[in-house]
Amino acid sequence: MNASIVASVVFLKIQDFARRPASEQARLRAQLEAVVAVVTAEVPPASRIVLEASDGAALVFLADPVAALRLAQRALTAAAAGLPLCAGLNHGALQLSGKKGAEGSRGDGIAVAASIAESAPSSKLLASRAFRDALADAVPGAEAELVSAGTFTDVGLRAHEIFTPDARALARRRRRYGMAGATLAIALLAAGIGWRITTDGKPSFIAPAMAHPYVRAFVHRVNP
Amino acid sequence: MAKKTTKIGRYKILGELGRGAMGIVYKAEDPNLDRTVALKTIIIADDADGAAEYRKRFFMEAKAAGKLNHPNVVTTFDCGDHDGMAYLAMELVEGTDLRTRLTSDGVTPLEAVDIVRQVAEGLAYAHERGVVHRDIKPANIMIDEKGRAKLMDFGLARMRLADHKTTTGMVLGTPRYMSPEQIAGEPVDARSDIFSLGIVLYEALTGTRLFSGEGIEQVQHSIMNVEPVPPTRVTPGIPAMLDFVVARALKRDPKVRYQDAREFAGDLATCLAELRSVENSADSGSRTVRIEPSVGKVEDAPAARAIAVDTRLPLSHLFDSTAALKRATSSKDLARLPRRVGLVRRVFVDAAVRRLFILLLFAGAASAYITLV
Repeated sequence: MNASIVASVVFLKIQDFARRPASEQARLRAQLEAVVAVVTAEVPPASRIVLEASDGAALVFLADPVAALRLAQRALTAAAAGLPLCAGLNHGALQLSGKKGAEGSRGDGIAVAASIAESAPSSKLLASRAFRDALADAVPGAEAELVSAGTFTDVGLRAHEIFTPDARALARRRRRYGMAGATLAIALLAAGIGWRITTDGKPSFIAPAMAHPYVRAFVHRVNP
Repeated sequence: MAKKTTKIGRYKILGELGRGAMGIVYKAEDPNLDRTVALKTIIIADDADGAAEYRKRFFMEAKAAGKLNHPNVVTTFDCGDHDGMAYLAMELVEGTDLRTRLTSDGVTPLEAVDIVRQVAEGLAYAHERGVVHRDIKPANIMIDEKGRAKLMDFGLARMRLADHKTTTGMVLGTPRYMSPEQIAGEPVDARSDIFSLGIVLYEALTGTRLFSGEGIEQVQHSIMNVEPVPPTRVTPGIPAMLDFVVARALKRDPKVRYQDAREFAGDLATCLAELRSVENSADSGSRTVRIEPSVGKVEDAPAARAIAVDTRLPLSHLFDSTAALKRATSSKDLARLPRRVGLVRRVFVDAAVRRLFILLLFAGAASAYITLV
């Protein structure tokens, strides 16, 4: 099998995994597998690929960044149950390869998601600019849920602009757009009224315009 | 014909136990205490450069080893020199070394974990006293008739290494069991012993060589670069926790390895309890069987920190991704990059923008009406 795709990657990482005692590592790993099993149950099997990492798991979502974001958020709620998890989201190129039974994947999509997860604090979800753009493309407006969380530089010295979900960001945006709409509407109405007041008693600019032969011919054609 | 050695120092030679790179090991008798000992001889040639320094170092290391008194460490009783030959009188362990056991009939997972746990206990004791072994390998682990493991040759690796460095400028030890920091020629500490013991554990559990190659360079390259296949994939049926124990002991970065041998021994004790409970339940007729998917050789998964663009992550065998893989190979739409969202699309799809647009449209129409009518 060999395929190149562009997909959303959720990298779920157990915090400080390498530093924990092996008994705890085994327990946390089993917990992570349970969490992944629960959250992926809601995703159609044809939409997700689950990859293994020694300290976490990478979930690849085919053409569904919204599902990727929701799954990552749901997985992070597991942190409340004693699983110190963090998540990195990215949208990028992947290559799927390998013989049957030994398939795997590599690519920038996974590498960036992993490095973002590596930099994420416990119970936090961080997403890349590419993921935010993919989210905007899938559902315009949904990207507003991800607000800027600064930038970070990975081990390869690449700078990444990162975003984090904010549950109130959508409501804030709605309010902001409402306020802007109301302000602009009032300004437009005020401009109309102002124009009317300043031109009151003076011949309307429309009368000479209407007297123009071309305009009269047009009006005649429309309304004979 | 060479003259047969009958006495070294005050020790009466009873027979030869073996020969190594540094000298001969004899079975000897201490007439003062009427005790049988193992007498390890190390040849120090008089014409060798720095022989005096070597001798001084040897006695220093022997003294450090002599302070160790632990059930899992071969006790050093005495040291001395005799006719240009240094010797160590050590506790004689009646049994076989682990290398012989591994090359003959092997050991069961339970035995392997128990032996390495005991060695880790002995190492922890030595490390707490500032003594680092530097040459942990199966040949240096003796197992007596009661199954008790004893670690021997403390400090001798340093003697050999120091000697070799002065003569050839190269680092030499037992390459297959060296830690990455030993290979790099960096200072080693207790964590280097833990790495080497991790290799011993892996080999005892799986019966295979972990790092191999045709020459020293190949072996060292393997140690620095090859990710071991988890032992449960080589020997199905052993507790999954052993994968984590081995992986942690074999971390290339000493900072993320076990920081002390006691912690390593503690984890092995937990694994041992699990192995014993499985064995007991098998004896009692009931057994819990973990079903693992049969997939043949499976590659090891890297950690997040180690993932680069060309790092391959294996498919999880706990989750069926066949349908998605099939879709990925058949669909061409999945290679499309996200498009920039245009204003028209945004007005039609984004509710907040749509509301703003409609509001402005009405306000504009109303304003036009007021202005024109």
